[in-house]
Amino acid sequence: MARFETLQEPPRALEGLKLIELPCYDSMPFLAAAMAGKAFADFGAEVIKVEPPRVGALERALGPFRDERPDPETGGLHLYLNTNKLGITLDLERPRGRDLLFDLLASADIVFNPNCPALNERLGIDWATLTRRFPKLIVVSITFFGADSPYKNVRGGDLVATQMSGVGYETPWHQVTDLPNEPPLKLGGRQSDYLTGYTASAAAMCALYSRKTNGVGQHVDVSQWRAMTSMIRPNIGFYSHEAKDSASFQRLHTRRKTAAQWVYPCTDGWVSFSAGTDRFWRGAKVAMGNPDWMDNELFDTILGRVANIDAIEAGVIDWLSTHTRTEAFEKAQEQHVPCFPVHTPAEVATNTQYEARRFFVDHEHPAAGEVRMPGAPCKFSRTPWRTVRGAPRLGEHNRKILGERLGLSAAALDELAEDRII
Amino acid sequence: MSKLPLAGIRVADFGWIYAVPHATAWLGALGADVIRIESTLAPDLVRFLTGTDGVLGFNRSGVFHAINSSRRGLTLNLAQPEAREIARKIVMKSDFVTENFTVGNMAKYGLGYDDLVKIKPDIIMLSGTPLGQDGPFARTVGFGPTTQAFAGLCHVTGYPHSFPCGIGGTWPDFAVGTGMVFFLLAALHHRDRTGQGQYLDLSMAEMVTTMIPEAMMDFFMNGRDPGGIGNRDESMAPHGVFPVAGDDKWIAIAIATDAEFAKLCDVLGVPSLAVDSKFAKLFGRLENVDELEREVAARTRNFQRDDLVAKLRAHGLAAGPVYNTPELMNDPAFVNSGMLVELNHAEVGKRVVPGIPVNFGAIDLDYRAAPAIGEHTDEVMRELLGYSAEEIARLKAANVLV
Repeated sequence: MARFETLQEPPRALEGLKLIELPCYDSMPFLAAAMAGKAFADFGAEVIKVEPPRVGALERALGPFRDERPDPETGGLHLYLNTNKLGITLDLERPRGRDLLFDLLASADIVFNPNCPALNERLGIDWATLTRRFPKLIVVSITFFGADSPYKNVRGGDLVATQMSGVGYETPWHQVTDLPNEPPLKLGGRQSDYLTGYTASAAAMCALYSRKTNGVGQHVDVSQWRAMTSMIRPNIGFYSHEAKDSASFQRLHTRRKTAAQWVYPCTDGWVSFSAGTDRFWRGAKVAMGNPDWMDNELFDTILGRVANIDAIEAGVIDWLSTHTRTEAFEKAQEQHVPCFPVHTPAEVATNTQYEARRFFVDHEHPAAGEVRMPGAPCKFSRTPWRTVRGAPRLGEHNRKILGERLGLSAAALDELAEDRII
Repeated sequence: MSKLPLAGIRVADFGWIYAVPHATAWLGALGADVIRIESTLAPDLVRFLTGTDGVLGFNRSGVFHAINSSRRGLTLNLAQPEAREIARKIVMKSDFVTENFTVGNMAKYGLGYDDLVKIKPDIIMLSGTPLGQDGPFARTVGFGPTTQAFAGLCHVTGYPHSFPCGIGGTWPDFAVGTGMVFFLLAALHHRDRTGQGQYLDLSMAEMVTTMIPEAMMDFFMNGRDPGGIGNRDESMAPHGVFPVAGDDKWIAIAIATDAEFAKLCDVLGVPSLAVDSKFAKLFGRLENVDELEREVAARTRNFQRDDLVAKLRAHGLAAGPVYNTPELMNDPAFVNSGMLVELNHAEVGKRVVPGIPVNFGAIDLDYRAAPAIGEHTDEVMRELLGYSAEEIARLKAANVLV
């Protein structure tokens, strides 16, 4: 197994890259832009988060807040998404604010822009203008439906993107008992926002590699809807390869119980259990102690098991009714059958696997105190993910960036503050 | 055509199922030479998933074709020592190695990172597993969907007061695969600057947990541990999926402000609801959300879905149809978005598959049809590794190149 190096301060993979994350002035997927910026900042790029003066980025207004007391400097999402970033304030509605932004864009590699096309054009920060003015810049627009879509001015969001992608229609996956009354379901939290963020960060790296070959930047058009439709790629292939009116696409198939996978109760919670393939079915038989009911030729094939799902379900539930999650997990995994406990966030936070891998990380934040949060989405052996600074307080790096980098004098900065540009 | 961004980059791709093949579909479309290493003796089960027109065979599945575009296919029976030697030769000519076997399987074949870094010191290797390479449960087996449970996502997905729910579309396989593209290119960028390769250890569960910050931060800050809230939102109401006319037809509506709620009530023909003291203000709508949702659902039922969507959008409201796959595939905005590409597959001919979910202003993505099993075995053995036709024939007869 690979050993991870334990140098005092290992390098980070994206050191030297410069990014700008623009504020969202309408309702576009700002959390996606924040997540995309986070991916870069956490791996070492310099990410300057531009926020509107006084009010700050929209995620500062979202919870969770400690003891339900809203505070723009200590919200959980702000702390999580903006760690490792530099923060400045700029009023982009005013020409002087935009001029300062353009000064920063002149030396930036990538900009993430979560605003609608009409607003971008009004402010003169649309992708056509930016790519013309800064030929090496990679302009990543992040919208609900795409910069050129007929829906480009239509409102969307996590719920709408999820339900228009086909993912919501299939959720819950294979476990609905009361079809007429249970509507298609959104994923927990804000999955489509964060997925769109990872999509934008991957796409930005692709454009960076394009620039390495030809020296020029480009517009990268990322949308929440498209990102979510990429999660149902198998359905698209199935649809275009076979009968387009297949019953398999109706929720009777996609949402009702099948032999493929279930979330089932046990004595102390739930487990996710999969015995769909022949190999897993044989393993499950051993794990469950070879009960008589499983010796039935009706269950010998996948199709047979699908047709007799009720009997199988009853047998599995009966077995689980005498097992804790851990017992079921251990017995099934001993036979190489995919089975995992359903963890609550508290159990995720304390489980021994994550602890052994030091997944959660701590840092001291000047406003929020001790902060613990999820860490690396992927462990790099030479250039590990790490926290170098806490989320910026509003305008914290105005002096460092606008003063030191752009050469504005203290008096000029005071004047900008007076005019509420910063 | 201009030079592709990853021209000259080669991937020795041992990945299978969904996550890694999805990542290498991106890399291939960007111009990397992805060599998919598989075996007829232990084939990717996705080769037998649906979309086969009812015909048996390795090269029929629409699902496989949808995920495995832009790569070459080579068959190699790693149970044979000679096959492992060929795999090492491919790695020596590669920049990336990608795999998502159970922990320890690659090392068993002498293809672990510690083995490969000796023969290709700057190799970048990515291993995707349910729970990561180390820790007490590293050797567990699982699919993406089972890792949702471990990672906390199932617990926060569900109807209010209901059971924890699994997510459709084999989540998070494709989300993780998308992340892999970023991680691999970040490591390549570091190699460009320093000459150093490295090992990337991806735990699917951990990546899923990076995507539920609301729940995790709430626990760390307040010790709270709530379950699913259905389609609802903590700061918007109504925010849900409501029935419309017809069988199993639904609309998604997300209302943020009081003014938006008034517009919704107008469209639904119940302006009185907007001035009802229970619902006029956001606080009241959140307090009385069960009743609010019943009131809204009682009206949406009277509308045709697409008519109601159009009316709400005309008022600037966030609303959309709940699509199943055929409906999505019939939305002209999706069909013309650039997401769908028609490719000519060796056995089934021209079929539409999904492309990369992003439009690039200046990259002509290189989409090539998913390979038939072993389609490029001879080509890779001959052109990349310099084997003669006789040697290739012998290795096939000896059950190495199968």
